[in-house]
Amino acid sequence: MRSPPGAAVAGPRPAVPMATRTASPPASASRSAARTVGGIPPWASLGVLFGVTSALSILAFGPIGVSGTYPRAIGSVARAIAPGWAANEGYLVKMGSVVTPESLLVVGLLLGGFLARRLGHQPRPVAAEVVHAVERTPGRRYLTAFLGGFLILFGARLAGGCTSGHIISGITQLAASSFIFAAAVFGAGILTAKLIRPRA
Amino acid sequence: MTLFYGLLVGVAMGAFIQRVGASSPAMILENLRLKDLSVIKFMATTIAVGSILAYLLAAGGAPMHFDIKPTYVIGVALGGLVFGVGFALGGYCPGTCVVGIGEGRKDAWAAIAGGVAGAFVFTLLWPVLEPALIKPFNYGKVTVPQLLGASPVVAAAVLAAVFLTIVTLLPTRPGEAPRG
Repeated sequence: MRSPPGAAVAGPRPAVPMATRTASPPASASRSAARTVGGIPPWASLGVLFGVTSALSILAFGPIGVSGTYPRAIGSVARAIAPGWAANEGYLVKMGSVVTPESLLVVGLLLGGFLARRLGHQPRPVAAEVVHAVERTPGRRYLTAFLGGFLILFGARLAGGCTSGHIISGITQLAASSFIFAAAVFGAGILTAKLIRPRA
Repeated sequence: MTLFYGLLVGVAMGAFIQRVGASSPAMILENLRLKDLSVIKFMATTIAVGSILAYLLAAGGAPMHFDIKPTYVIGVALGGLVFGVGFALGGYCPGTCVVGIGEGRKDAWAAIAGGVAGAFVFTLLWPVLEPALIKPFNYGKVTVPQLLGASPVVAAAVLAAVFLTIVTLLPTRPGEAPRG
């Protein structure tokens, strides 16, 4: 028997140790949130829909992508509070204005996540799913999420794209670089996931 | 108008990611531990359908806005390795943590904060990283069909056939009873 992959941490600082908290598995964790329709599993129907969306995005304005919005947002804040510094940071200059379809796409992700849960009448997900054995306290979970976030953005900016821009859009366009990126991501990701002890 | 299209694409993408469970770090770890392959299959299906459709539209004369990322081998490979470690550590990618905030995940805020910090540190290191890892061995914006001298539509069809065959044959939950 496998244990449910995610345990709940209700708030930032629970009074009891996490190991003693009883938690029902989050609806979206162990199985896809969407139901199988007519024998077609959700990954297949949602994959077809996302594939059509991704091709139409290339038609409408360009391939989907997310990670470039982070430095563009940093650049727009920096130009407001420290224009002299921002003008001399080559990377912020290179990435340009935050007013792009891609930035609106990121706003859309926020709305899409909110609407899909609400309209799907799904329960609110647990605040912080515990995925590794080291995440014995909520603080530890927030720390691994922070460190993970740091590495994915640093890596994505070094490579020039992330899961959406490089892997989805890149391989969709058959870009040579994106095959290299995807192999490196899944190689390191699977190895790391196998090496870190999972939550018991 | 393109800004509005960006918003629409984002809402759809966010909804798909939420419904397939990819905004759940536990689900991502199940996939990276190869216990549940549904998100990987979702991505492969997306790529197969998107690739064949995009190149068919292009072949039909549609004004496509392709944007191929340059192949600077060292930076792309190193960036992918760093990304992979972070992906397995946090269970989020730069887009799924935004979806996660939308659906009410608190640790997604920590992932975004880490992401902003990572992008900021990268910005500071850019003058060192660009000459060392991005300028050398840069083969430019090249696609696999260009390297092979093949038609992009044919290459997309082959890729789609391979990906769709693999996702059909692979069990969604290896080690458990037949796929569902």
